[in-house]
Amino acid sequence: MRYRPCALSLVFLATSFLTISAVTASAQKKPTVINPPPTAQDWADIGKLPDWSGVWNPKVTDQDAQVKTNPPPWNEVAAKKIEQMFAEEKAGRPKLIFPGCFPENHPTWMLITHNAMEILFTPGRVTMLGESDGNRLRRIYTDGRGHPDEPEPSFHGHSVGHWEGDTLVVDTVHIIPQAPLAVSEAAGVPNNGDMRVVERIHLADKDILHVDLEIFAPKILTRPWKTTRIFFRQRARKFDIVEGICVLGDYAERIDADGDHVFVPVEKTIWGNIVPKSAGATR
Amino acid sequence: MKQLVKPALALAALCGIAAGISSVAAHHSTTMFDHSKTLTIDGTVVELRWVNPHVSLSVNGTVKGSEEVAVWVMEMTSPGNLVRAGGWSRNAVKAGEKVQVDFSPLRDTSLKGGALKKVTIVATGQVFTANLRAQEMPGLE
Repeated sequence: MRYRPCALSLVFLATSFLTISAVTASAQKKPTVINPPPTAQDWADIGKLPDWSGVWNPKVTDQDAQVKTNPPPWNEVAAKKIEQMFAEEKAGRPKLIFPGCFPENHPTWMLITHNAMEILFTPGRVTMLGESDGNRLRRIYTDGRGHPDEPEPSFHGHSVGHWEGDTLVVDTVHIIPQAPLAVSEAAGVPNNGDMRVVERIHLADKDILHVDLEIFAPKILTRPWKTTRIFFRQRARKFDIVEGICVLGDYAERIDADGDHVFVPVEKTIWGNIVPKSAGATR
Repeated sequence: MKQLVKPALALAALCGIAAGISSVAAHHSTTMFDHSKTLTIDGTVVELRWVNPHVSLSVNGTVKGSEEVAVWVMEMTSPGNLVRAGGWSRNAVKAGEKVQVDFSPLRDTSLKGGALKKVTIVATGQVFTANLRAQEMPGLE
């Protein structure tokens, strides 16, 4: 019986400890942020936005022209690399800027893509979907949120946007440092971190979309770079974007010995071109 | 039997099943092709690969000015761009069809690859091109 006071004390101490721990944990736990379900009014408001439906093709000839007319203000180190890449491209040895079918990333997708994209509006978000990479996708949050305190770097970064009249203003940060800032499919350098992109996207004409970009890349540019990229619209159904898996270029569809439909690797050059494995075939 | 062996051999020539293949998936610049040159091949379509990032057309035939019969692989832009700029579809050119292809060859002349400029289907005279910069305008039909 003499142990009874001790046992009671231990129980009291343990109970107090658990209570204090629970209160502390409760105080430290951040409130869960909920994405609320859209209301009928939210959907109605979508109808007031400008019409960006259809399929948007990039004006590649303007991309080509801006290589000379509006080059980025590269710093000395980056400029030397770009100069070397252009020399190699001209000599027929173009550098692979996107090896392994990595996405073209932001903002390079906007700058040099050859492929179509579509733009979807839903409450609180604008989504850009592109052809080719299999993961060519930008989520632009328009629900009033800011950028996250804890970055989750990605190829396309974290984008928040708001509407100023019929112009969508987008701010993007947290792009992975490996993502190139490129001006052609053979000339681009890794941004090396801290890149930020501000875009003003708007219709310049009934079927012409302008993406005005201001790119802050302090590790490779001497000052922010401004450029406008042009997209033109198609509505014919035959131009609808279909699934595009970049890595499929490395395989051929064949039927194996078991009769199964399979993918078989194809031989490619160091430049990424498919070539016949053997020199010839009998006719 | 000979009729079956020919396409099988041609298809096999396109696959690098052997160890040590170079596999570089990427969308890339096209300056590895010598765009200052245009060669013409007359032959039979082995395969049209309708995939991103580059559609390819393989043709078993003879390049003008040469006696060698060989499979050549012609590269193009993406399926979406070919539909828009060249009027293509995945069934535009079929295996077994006789074609004539104008192309710019790889600068590495040891490889039988090229950038397709134009393909003409011999039986119909139908022509498909592959210049994605050719029609940069909205509202195409």
